[in-house]
Amino acid sequence: MNVVVIGLSHHSSPVELRERFAFAEAKISDALKSLRESGIAGEAVILSTCNRVEIYAATALDPARAFAELKRFLLQWGETAGEPQRSSPSPRRGEGRGEEAVFSSSDPRTPALSPLGRGEGVEPVQRIPTDVCDTLYTLAEPQSLHHLFKVACGLDSMVLGETEILGQLKKAYDLAFQHKHTGARLNKAFQRAFHVAKHIRTETNIQRGSVSVASVAVELAEKIFSSLNDREVLVIGAGETSEKTARALLSRGARSIVVANRSHDRAVALASELGGRAVQFDDWAGEFEKIDIAISGTSAPHHILDRAKLEPLMKARQQRPLLLIDIAVPRDIDPEVNLLENVYLYNIDDLQSIADDYLKQRKEEIARCEAIIGEKVKALLDVKRFQPQMNTDEHGYQTQTGSA
Amino acid sequence: MAIYGVSTVYSVFLWRKGFRKDDHVNYFLLLVAFALHTIAMLQRGFSLNECPVNNLYEAATFIAWAIVAAYLAFGLLPRLRFLGAFASPALFAIGVFALMPALDPPRGPKPEFSGALTSLHAATILLAYGAFGLGAAAAGMFLTQQHDLKFHKLRAVLSLLPPIQRLETIASRLVLVGLVLFTIGLEAGRHLPRPEGVSYWQDSKVVWSIFMWLVYLALLVLRRFFRQSSRRFATGVIAAFAFLLLTFWGTNLLSTLHHP
Repeated sequence: MNVVVIGLSHHSSPVELRERFAFAEAKISDALKSLRESGIAGEAVILSTCNRVEIYAATALDPARAFAELKRFLLQWGETAGEPQRSSPSPRRGEGRGEEAVFSSSDPRTPALSPLGRGEGVEPVQRIPTDVCDTLYTLAEPQSLHHLFKVACGLDSMVLGETEILGQLKKAYDLAFQHKHTGARLNKAFQRAFHVAKHIRTETNIQRGSVSVASVAVELAEKIFSSLNDREVLVIGAGETSEKTARALLSRGARSIVVANRSHDRAVALASELGGRAVQFDDWAGEFEKIDIAISGTSAPHHILDRAKLEPLMKARQQRPLLLIDIAVPRDIDPEVNLLENVYLYNIDDLQSIADDYLKQRKEEIARCEAIIGEKVKALLDVKRFQPQMNTDEHGYQTQTGSA
Repeated sequence: MAIYGVSTVYSVFLWRKGFRKDDHVNYFLLLVAFALHTIAMLQRGFSLNECPVNNLYEAATFIAWAIVAAYLAFGLLPRLRFLGAFASPALFAIGVFALMPALDPPRGPKPEFSGALTSLHAATILLAYGAFGLGAAAAGMFLTQQHDLKFHKLRAVLSLLPPIQRLETIASRLVLVGLVLFTIGLEAGRHLPRPEGVSYWQDSKVVWSIFMWLVYLALLVLRRFFRQSSRRFATGVIAAFAFLLLTFWGTNLLSTLHHP
């Protein structure tokens, strides 16, 4: 019984292809059932996110045959599913921080699944290019376990070290476990993967720091203010990055948002979306007495805030600390204001540079993580209980003796 | 003393590493040092049958003990544990100063000072110095973190130091506590008997103490009522404590009341 992996990810395939193979959450159980009924796998887990579609299977077939069958299964699935699975349009936790988002679908269609290799009951909706097989990666033990551990730790993610994937992997495993599509082998492998992910998170810096501009801004705010609760944020210019940053601050407890934009309608729309209030663009300076954080991202060709303008405003603020985030290019805020007491100015390059440094640090941790994973995989394979006996149940499914 | 020294060396290491890991090593070192320090002070106190604050050696060690005690309380909060990295160099310096010759002369038949009021006077003033010392450590942390944030150093976000606003609050509260203790100590001293013909206003230690009291009061008043900048306040707290340490010995030697 070998644990194998087949799949495609952002490393190997463009999104146009990945979305063809994505499994809607509601269909995963059927797909797993189909996989087991077809005799390819005794146990299986399907992980389907925006950045990857992977099948983890414990199979009695030799790896070459198992991969051929699994490829056929995936191709059949991709052709049957037809329409790409759409990701949810509503913002969800993790978006804007580069984590993997789950494809979800409310598409009620269920492709007719049948035992593979028999070609029954399937009406292809849209043909998958035949060269797609080149983009599918296939891994057998021990590489398959190594890959599973890497995925759990975020080492294979688009944003190195991100943690969202661990939750998605747990969800995929829980789904398979609840429908009894896992057994001793995959239970052990996945539980060990979750344990390794926790170990790596505590023992290395792979998940340390923020790697997006918005989260770096939040981190800076947390280094200045005792608490982000009761902090008021002013957004000047309602652009995408300003919005993301404001959302990130709100999610960490900022009390309220004030939006000023040249197009007042846009300011009102954003303010109502964020639960804040809008002010006329010409009135933003009047808000400085109350606010603690200002995010500026206008398209003004010149500085809209300089030292001469800020100095009296700081006196009115009684020298309370002020964090200025200038994400505009050309810059909205004169760099000289950083010379004022209690003013902390960061422009887009400063934020990006911190995010890049964090990413660099994470990359430096890869070797340590790989070494830990290598040891853990070896330890797992050395466990006798990971080599169970195979039986066949009354339904003809492969099952194992031995405990997880 | 040796443990304070080790803690100082470790603090330099922490500084260079940008305060990225929880400072439990320094906390443990200072906890051990505090335990030994307390035992030593208790032994001395029991042998004298009074609070061991009768000469410069005892005063210096009492200040160090007060600083460590306050640090250990603050250090229960993980982010404030780094106060130890800023406090241990001062503790080590005070320890070195305490070991200087002639600060702990052999006792005569009677101690230089005696009585409950004397003990209260000395203990509260020395505890006040401890609070000022820890306030200076918090101010040092504030200045370090503020400098890193102003100049966009990566370690500003990487370090585990608390937010600068909290550090400023801690420093100012410690100074306030110190000032209250200082006031109680000075008031207790005012009621102590003094040799005939000696005026308080002619005694260098009394004049110096009142000057220090005014300095700390001014720092708090300027911050509270005149919105003095946080950086100047923090610099002032550090400068005031440095001045206190550097002049404490000299004014004591010149004082006829304290060094008859």
